[in-house]
Amino acid sequence: MKAGFQTVFFKEMKDVLRDRKTLLLMIILPIVVVPLLLNLLIGFVIKKEQEAKSEVLEYVVFGDEFAPEFAKTFEGANGFKKVTLGSSDELVVAIREERIDFGLVIPEKTATQLSGQEQASIELHFDNASMGSKVEDRVQGLVEKFNDGLTAARLAKLGVPSGQKQKSLLEPVRLRKQGTGKIREVIGDRIGGMVPYFFIAFCFMGVVYPAIHLGAGEKERGTLETLLLAPIPRHQVVLGKFLAVFCGGIIAVLLNLASLGTWLAIKAGELRGIIGTLIGSIDLLDLMLLALMLIPVAAMFAALLLSISIFARNSAEASTLISPFGIVLIVPAALAMLPGVELNWFWASVPVTNVSLAMKELLKGTMDYTMLLAIFASSTLIAGGLLFFCAKWFNRESVLFRV
Amino acid sequence: MLQVSSLTKVFRLASSKRGREGHDPRERGRRFHAIDGIDFEVRRGQVLGLLGQNGAGKTTLLRILSTSLKPTSGVVLCDGEDLTKNPLEIRKRIGFVSGNTGLYGRLTAREMLSYYGKLHGMAAAALDERIRSLARKLDMDWFLDQRNETLSSGMRQKVSIARALIHDPEILLFDELTTGLDVAAADSVLTVVAVCKSEGRTVLFSTHHMDEVDQLCDSVVIVHEGKLCFEGGVDTMRSQTGESFLDKAFLRLIRPKTEGAKT
Repeated sequence: MKAGFQTVFFKEMKDVLRDRKTLLLMIILPIVVVPLLLNLLIGFVIKKEQEAKSEVLEYVVFGDEFAPEFAKTFEGANGFKKVTLGSSDELVVAIREERIDFGLVIPEKTATQLSGQEQASIELHFDNASMGSKVEDRVQGLVEKFNDGLTAARLAKLGVPSGQKQKSLLEPVRLRKQGTGKIREVIGDRIGGMVPYFFIAFCFMGVVYPAIHLGAGEKERGTLETLLLAPIPRHQVVLGKFLAVFCGGIIAVLLNLASLGTWLAIKAGELRGIIGTLIGSIDLLDLMLLALMLIPVAAMFAALLLSISIFARNSAEASTLISPFGIVLIVPAALAMLPGVELNWFWASVPVTNVSLAMKELLKGTMDYTMLLAIFASSTLIAGGLLFFCAKWFNRESVLFRV
Repeated sequence: MLQVSSLTKVFRLASSKRGREGHDPRERGRRFHAIDGIDFEVRRGQVLGLLGQNGAGKTTLLRILSTSLKPTSGVVLCDGEDLTKNPLEIRKRIGFVSGNTGLYGRLTAREMLSYYGKLHGMAAAALDERIRSLARKLDMDWFLDQRNETLSSGMRQKVSIARALIHDPEILLFDELTTGLDVAAADSVLTVVAVCKSEGRTVLFSTHHMDEVDQLCDSVVIVHEGKLCFEGGVDTMRSQTGESFLDKAFLRLIRPKTEGAKT
């Protein structure tokens, strides 16, 4: 004969897995929707990037007679098309209306400045509000090319031979960067903070619906009252429900992990070096530890949300009460993304953030395994405390029969 | 036998739920006396009708008797054993059904019965046999493998009764069993109550329908504003009030109390 909590657990799992909303959130979302969205998003970003690089930029030049060589640099360049505009007063409006991509205004004094070997200023007008715009980079590239030629000519005129001599004159000291960090550490540090954030968010999403359904939902349907009459201690009812909610979180995380991993493995080639390098350098043990770290997080979420859900009078109230926790619990996970937040004994004591930072260290491959053990133990302890609270909470008449 | 003596249940009122002072005599400061010193007893094999207006305290009383709620004071003895001392053992002897049939919509009737049987520690073979026997008795065979969410109100109430009977309890507590049922469904449910009586089970039956009381109950308890205002047989109810209709007799019994409370 099964223990009471096992009977409750198996029944709750059956009940939860027969629900379309749960299946959608827990299974369909990670397996189908997440890879599909990632595919669309990355595809869109790559397409936009390529478009921005190869797009023909239409421009106008005012005062090209004052720097004809400079103007010629643009006329002869690929991907640039010179157009005309009535007057320079129309420049801003024309850019805003997207009739042109940028405008160059060459002042009259430029001619004397250039011939007198002085520095000249040329105005570049462009839409700097557009994030994806490559105008500045592409114009800067041509200006640098023009500057290189002019500098070389000026130095030759001064008697400096071209080549290495000119380089050493222009840049007496050159810094050669020799980073000691492995490529995995560098990439892990930059994107490693985002990965735990997503997994912790997925874990939360996986827990929310089962918690509402098995707590407030039971009250609402009137099944809680009959369940409380079963001859098993109430802590066993709580344990059975907790395990079902906890499994919801774990299933969501594992499916997300598997789905994301599969997607990345397939797409690694397309995404070129960076992600491929990161995936290639993570071994199976790290992946298992990554999943292991999420176990106490799922347990914490399950115990906390079940307590809130049990307190609520109905599902709608439970959703209202749980929503702010979505933000409150995700903030510590997001802290790992901030620069300067590194895993040390202080951060190791902050719930959720510690797991987030530990996952980041695992991705970087710089994990101190003693600290990992401490984080796992402390998170498990907190989850246990929350479960104990939930069981106590479940024994209170004022909570169960709240009107 | 179920013996209830000096039973009291006091709830702490949330500030938002507190009414005007003197509005309800049961509200005393921050406390609400839902049940106030009730005594009665039900003998084995008897059907006791529990009557009272909405909010009189019937559901609270039934929740105490079913061990969902703990009494603030007083004693409930179930065959001489204190209900609060060992609730888990007492629950094995009690079956509870409310009008608001609490069923798991996504489970079939069979799965639902099996779940409660397992919670009561029944062995698989005995449980299967019990489900078969209850299905025959309650005419549930034909919808036993349908999900509860697809069942009609009458069918749902039958599943609910079968759930309460799965562990073969000696005492049955029915809270407004026929609420929301059509005439045919209500009749078939009441037949089950009559069968339970004939099997020698003790039944506590809360209802607003006096014809059901007339049809099934051996004795009646009327609760008004948390206090007991009548205990006796159906005939005593009539003779004491001089009314031949039970509805009128019920109103006669509670009206002086209501008027008294208002003045």
